[in-house]
Amino acid sequence: MPASSPRPIKIRFFAVLREQAKCSTVEVVTIAATPADLYRELQTSHGLTFRADLLRVAVNERYVAMDLPLHAGDQVVFIPPVAGG
Amino acid sequence: MFELTELPIDSTALRAKLARPEAGACVVFEGWVRNHHLGQPVNELHYEAFDVMAKLEGDAIVTEIEHRYPGCTVLCVHRTGALRVGELAVWIGVASPHRQAAFLACRRGIEEIKRRLPVWKKEHHPDGAAEWVNCTTEAASRGPKSADYYARQSALPEVGATGETQLANARVLVVGLGGLGCPAALYLAGAGVGQLTLVDSGKVELSNLHRQILFTTDDLGAPKAEAAVDALRARNPFIQLEALATEFAAQNARTLVAGRTVVLDCTDNFATRFILHDACFSAGVPLVQAAVHRFEGTLDVFRRGSGGCLHCLRQNRSVAELDAAAGNCSGGAVFGPAVGVLGTLQASETLKIILGRETAETFRQTHLINLLDCSVLSIAREANLNCPVCGRVETASSGAARTTSASADTPVMLEAAELAALGPVRLIALLDAGETFDPSRAVAGTLSLPMSDIAQLREMTATTETVVLTCRRGVRSAALARLLRAEGRADIYAMAAGSPAIMAAP
Repeated sequence: MPASSPRPIKIRFFAVLREQAKCSTVEVVTIAATPADLYRELQTSHGLTFRADLLRVAVNERYVAMDLPLHAGDQVVFIPPVAGG
Repeated sequence: MFELTELPIDSTALRAKLARPEAGACVVFEGWVRNHHLGQPVNELHYEAFDVMAKLEGDAIVTEIEHRYPGCTVLCVHRTGALRVGELAVWIGVASPHRQAAFLACRRGIEEIKRRLPVWKKEHHPDGAAEWVNCTTEAASRGPKSADYYARQSALPEVGATGETQLANARVLVVGLGGLGCPAALYLAGAGVGQLTLVDSGKVELSNLHRQILFTTDDLGAPKAEAAVDALRARNPFIQLEALATEFAAQNARTLVAGRTVVLDCTDNFATRFILHDACFSAGVPLVQAAVHRFEGTLDVFRRGSGGCLHCLRQNRSVAELDAAAGNCSGGAVFGPAVGVLGTLQASETLKIILGRETAETFRQTHLINLLDCSVLSIAREANLNCPVCGRVETASSGAARTTSASADTPVMLEAAELAALGPVRLIALLDAGETFDPSRAVAGTLSLPMSDIAQLREMTATTETVVLTCRRGVRSAALARLLRAEGRADIYAMAAGSPAIMAAP
């Protein structure tokens, strides 16, 4: 499937990203080929300022690399570092 | 000051000794000989003390209390010899600028005397019979019974008598006594973890109390570790508790982690989290880790050999970057129940491991918990094949642990300018798959080694020379240097910046 075909992706925000996005979940139709591309889109559309290189990403409840190809219906969670105790 | 005396105790004279102009309060406790004990009439008591030991222990108790409640002056006298009903057996007076500390110090004084002072008493009954009673044993035996204490827990089929023994034999370390450590330690103590060691160098502050549920306003200013042990001893007198009011750092990490059944990471920064993680990884001790951001938190249970490690989750990022990002985001704001839930989950995971009730999934998931919508999202976690620590180390034979003269708490990261100050060093450039090494662009004498060859790296670092590791970007070499530090190789460093002599695959 070419990266340019738009498909629905469900996104869940955690911690500081949820605060920046002002929502816990969002569903988008996107041409983003990877989580890295998707995060760049969301930075613009949802005002996310957190550095992408400090994030972990999980797709369909499994940690993956930021350059893994995305598919229609994938559920993506972006996880920033959390340290408080 | 502590005294033993064979003469009658003169309360008025003792109180005069405590008088001082800065004192605004004096609290006195008097222990009297009563005419009955365990339903039997008593008309005389005979106290006997092992003089040297009793004096040493009494002095230690007084010193501890004066240290714990600064500004308090403590005077304690214990009577020996024959006493009639109504006579004073023990007298404790505390003078202090303010009443609250005086009340607390005095109460603590008599509890510690009853618990620790090596004193025996012979009770004379009216019928002529007499018996010797060890006061410390008596104090313990008059308390609750452990079988009653654990009755509702041992009734669980998953616990039972076997589980109670497993819990009693467990040795658990809790690092950090903040919002996570307080509830975690509370449930571990309540469950009867036999030996519980609590580490925190901090003191109780007013802004802690909304979430750090072991502490009260009485504890303000007290070392957290000591205040926590007091609270837990009151909750469960049947376990051994150890307070360490010191910083958990690279220099004491291995010693503190060694021999533990489980370790809990209840700290609040990545710098300490990595030191603790690496020490547990090296020792093969399971680590139950939680972290919180405002209303949300993460829970991970790490065990060497399954589900990857902290370096897998946060590889290629420096500790300083992670701490800066995490700290800047929270601004110190925290929802009390969030740390309460996460700390309680840490206790739960720990107890399951002790009881053998963990599953394979226990060590292979990150749980993301959000209190705003009461949701738990569990993410599958596995070892990252590119992880410089667990991706390859798990199968390598463990290198000979060694200690060196260099201090283990010196920072791992080394700036280029600091290299010369170390004197002669063994420089090792670590190459990842596809990378090449150009000696002409490196510091003279640099050796190169494939990053995957941990066994060879251990051999090459088994030298009396100082070792400095470098890699293309400076991140994986730091992780490996930290790992070798955790294995006891103290004088090993990593260059903070990458090496220009290592080229990426074309």
